[in-house]
Amino acid sequence: MSKMNMNLYSRGDKTFVMVNMVLIGLFTIAALYPFIYVAALSFSSGFAATAGTVVLTPVDATIAAYERVLTAPEFWHSYMNTMFYTIAGTLMSLLIVIPGAYALSRPQLVGRRFWNLMVAFTMWFHAGMIPFWLNMRDLGLLDSYFGIIIGFAVNAFNIILLRNFFESIPSSFAEAARMDGANEFQILWKVFVPLSKPAIATITLFCIVARWNGFFWAMILLTDDSKIPLQVYLRHTIAELSDDEEFAATLLSAAYSVETVTAAIIVCSIIPVLLVYPWVQKYFNKGILLGGVKE
Amino acid sequence: MADIGNVGSPTENTMPNVQVSGKPTFSERMQLLMYRVRQDWQIYVLLAPAIIWFLIFLYKPMYGLQIAFKDYSVFLGITGSDWVGLEHFQTLFGSDQFLRAVRNTIQISAWSLLFGFPAPIILALMFNEILKETFKKTAQTIVYLPHFISSVIIAGIIITAFSPSAGVVNTFLSWIGIDPVYFLTKPEWFRPIFIGTGIWQEAGFQSIVFLASIAGVNPSLYESAVVDGASRWQMMWKITLPSILPTIIIMLIIRIGNIMEVSFEMIILLYQPATYETADVVNTFIYRQGIQGGQYDLAAAAGLFNAVVAFTLVMTANTISKRFSRTSLW
Amino acid sequence: MHKLKLTALAVATSVLATTAPAVLAADDLKITDKPLELTIHMHHKRYTSYDENWPVEKAACEWTNVCLKNATIGSNTTNSEEAMNLLLASGKLPDIVGSGRIKDVANQYGPQGAFQPLEELIEKHAPNLQAFFEQNPAIKSSLKAADGHIYYLPYAPDGKYGRAFFIRYDWLDKLGLEVPDTVEEYENVLRAFKTQDPNGNGIADEVPYFARQWEELIRLVTLWDGRSSGSDTYHDYYVDNGQIKHPYAEVGYREGMKNLARWYKEGLIDAEIFTRGSSSREYLLSENLGGATHDWFASTAGYNDSLAEKVPGFAFKAMVPPASVSGVQMEEHRRIPVKPDGWAMGGTNKHPVETIKYMDFWFGEEGRRLSNFGIEGEQYTMVDGKPQFTEEFLASGNVNSQLYLIGAQLQARGYWMDYNYEIQWSNKYALEGIDLYESGDYLVDQFLGVAFNEKEQKVYDRYAAQLRTYMLERQQAWILGTGDVEADWDDYMKTLNKMGLSKVLDVMQSAYDRQYGS
Repeated sequence: MSKMNMNLYSRGDKTFVMVNMVLIGLFTIAALYPFIYVAALSFSSGFAATAGTVVLTPVDATIAAYERVLTAPEFWHSYMNTMFYTIAGTLMSLLIVIPGAYALSRPQLVGRRFWNLMVAFTMWFHAGMIPFWLNMRDLGLLDSYFGIIIGFAVNAFNIILLRNFFESIPSSFAEAARMDGANEFQILWKVFVPLSKPAIATITLFCIVARWNGFFWAMILLTDDSKIPLQVYLRHTIAELSDDEEFAATLLSAAYSVETVTAAIIVCSIIPVLLVYPWVQKYFNKGILLGGVKE
Repeated sequence: MADIGNVGSPTENTMPNVQVSGKPTFSERMQLLMYRVRQDWQIYVLLAPAIIWFLIFLYKPMYGLQIAFKDYSVFLGITGSDWVGLEHFQTLFGSDQFLRAVRNTIQISAWSLLFGFPAPIILALMFNEILKETFKKTAQTIVYLPHFISSVIIAGIIITAFSPSAGVVNTFLSWIGIDPVYFLTKPEWFRPIFIGTGIWQEAGFQSIVFLASIAGVNPSLYESAVVDGASRWQMMWKITLPSILPTIIIMLIIRIGNIMEVSFEMIILLYQPATYETADVVNTFIYRQGIQGGQYDLAAAAGLFNAVVAFTLVMTANTISKRFSRTSLW
Repeated sequence: MHKLKLTALAVATSVLATTAPAVLAADDLKITDKPLELTIHMHHKRYTSYDENWPVEKAACEWTNVCLKNATIGSNTTNSEEAMNLLLASGKLPDIVGSGRIKDVANQYGPQGAFQPLEELIEKHAPNLQAFFEQNPAIKSSLKAADGHIYYLPYAPDGKYGRAFFIRYDWLDKLGLEVPDTVEEYENVLRAFKTQDPNGNGIADEVPYFARQWEELIRLVTLWDGRSSGSDTYHDYYVDNGQIKHPYAEVGYREGMKNLARWYKEGLIDAEIFTRGSSSREYLLSENLGGATHDWFASTAGYNDSLAEKVPGFAFKAMVPPASVSGVQMEEHRRIPVKPDGWAMGGTNKHPVETIKYMDFWFGEEGRRLSNFGIEGEQYTMVDGKPQFTEEFLASGNVNSQLYLIGAQLQARGYWMDYNYEIQWSNKYALEGIDLYESGDYLVDQFLGVAFNEKEQKVYDRYAAQLRTYMLERQQAWILGTGDVEADWDDYMKTLNKMGLSKVLDVMQSAYDRQYGS
């Protein structure tokens, strides 16, 4: 479609497109800065990082922080754990959220308003940390991979978002499929899911990101070191490297510091997330689908 | 069709006789209900996992909310702790600083609703107008990056950028002849800096929802508009925006529901006693209150207050939205 | 079996150390004949769980016949209070609970039955602890809960000095100035740093006084006979002749603030002191910009080594506190003799006698050495009857980190630090500075805290945090010049009283009198 539009540009459109591009370009540069800063920090000496003299490029360039990070077996172990939590957790989320959102979007669902309210209610009213923890303990889900995966599988926001997308699909699609003898499972799988790929890709991304960044509950629920995800490992490392100022500061001479090691871990942890996004973007350009099916 | 489909079929045909005339009795209504449930049983199978999940993981521990009305001892447990009625609420509302924190929270939220909420929508619309695919994709990936950089680092960058001696902002100001300002100790500057930081860090990530929504717009709409000679600007206003309106409304309602929640971590990192006047919010107030040992009960009371305020606002927004559009949270 | 091992150990050590002490009389340390296993929750920011394989713990187990088994909850969070709350909520307490910041928890939940009172047990079964308390009666008082019982045994730091005044001696030399003795001289020196370009770059970019924590600016009110805190936490109450006071409601503080605001305006104080944060010391010293600060002896003295090459002639050393307007030389900060960290005995512990004996072991000669220095022959050897870290060990990296790894210097254990352990690896400039401070009597007694009863606690909870918030808001405003302390003072005091200052002081006083007996 974009090709077709390009031929039909008016002059006004061209300025519009140019101005737009410049503005986006500026915002992009601003958004890139934190990452450049973190990357520069990760390659700087510990002293420079602590003194705050790093701005754009590494100061006293060194790879000491990466040596410290990449040679620790715990780092790789927690990295693998994060991968596992992310993949398994996201699959679990989709398995519950997609059918749930579909059911909640169906007009024939008895008590639809009640069910939707029940889901939305949890966005504001939370049990609190200790009751949640006690509940997980009573369910036997402390210190377990499965507990982390199932315990945080669903959130109201994702369900509502996806339900909203499902609702925007004209009812004629479901009707037509029903006429053809499809049951609800088939309608969901063969009609709604293909039509909602951008929305499902978005939800998937949200699940991935939440899993990737999540640390609080992993910290609280897991006791075994070997099960922790990367973000918890990062926090352990920070605690381990922070100095007792009461005593002598031996870190002064070290090539890395808590700042550079943190930066190096952040850089390492961002890379996979960077790779996920293009995959999601692929689905953003498939808007044609909806029109295609309609014909 | 599939075997599963046939299991329910014998019952499906036994439609109860429901009189149309007169009010249906209770049992008749129940019968109709049961009929409808049997008819669409597959939908309930699809719904069940989600509802069961909510019941087990979120609703079951919700008895914990009662600590807002108790003198909570972690050791004695929730049932073992004494009731204190509304004492915690009285403590909160008896404090000028709490009321100030509530005011600040609402003000920060309102301003960020005004500027922070439209930002990702505008960003998504702007992205949609970019025709160079590689530029578009690269830029999109980059603007979503700051979401992954921890608040500590983002706050560090902000503090440096606004530093009176070496910060870029003051350097720039000195070029145009303005004396350096110690921004982070000025109450009047806290909100703009905080909200701007939020946009910078999150707008890219938040735009994803709207990008996805735009991707769902029926292309044939654009095609016929092009035939009619519409400009891109017109198409954005007349086609794209109305098409993603349901998403905007849902996001808006949810945002309104977050009115009492302001990024606690970022405030703690950026505020100073000198800026408490505008920067101290409910979360930070509670945080300082609890320094002497975990006052879970007081925090729970504040949390409950927040939830009730937010929930009331959302109900209102939801009702209005339902009246004027088809979109609603429930 | 045990004896055999111990003799082997003794033989091994005597080979290493020329003057091996008398072999440990193993039976003296044995608490039970049959090995006894006790469960423990141990959580501290730096080691979030107990490890049965720590060499120090293995030795303790061997010597005492009491061995601990890990039962830590929340061992992946770095927040000890969070872990402790989960442990309490779980309803099942282990025999021993060790944690950072255990004090408030022990005093609050001890009376509810979570922990056992210890004072009677100590009297009957713990001679080492008895002796320790006789030597340090104030520490004993500070441990008491509101009901008069003792529910936890603390980590007791040794050594007196914490922070000190540091100044650039090389800058003083360059400008031909003496080390300032009084507040006026101090002010003149800071002004000279600002105006006479001691770093010689032709720009007036020097930052005369800086601090990583802006509270260290407020600390300077001591130069006008004010106070900024009574303990090692900022903004704390202090005791003046048995009277509890808040430093920010006293006249000296007003005088101090008036003058500090003037200093700030004049540029004698880092203009960015409130936001520069932890990087300020590293940055300002390494860029040859900073002139004076108030910071920890050990870590600050370290810059003389690490910046020797980068800043030629660099000499950032301690000076004694300048005399205040009334001639008092006060170093307000010191290492507090008792920390809120330590361990307690679970309320359901079936072996209280053995447990208290075990806790007592760590305050005895052998236990104290073990908890401070580690294992003889590994980390240290005995030289002239005193433990001395081996060269090899001292060269192997951060001493404390190394000690944590073997289970020594664990502050989630009730033990008594031995300052000798620290001297052995302290920077020589730090030791010089400490000697300088030893030559005078600059330290003040510290407020070791009070335990509130329920009624007092309610009053405190209601007013204290908000009072502090208001005090700090005014404080910064005065320094930044958006308020005038002289003009505001009466209003300020009125507001403090309206906000409950006198009520808080009253409950603190009653708690203090009960606890420290006046």
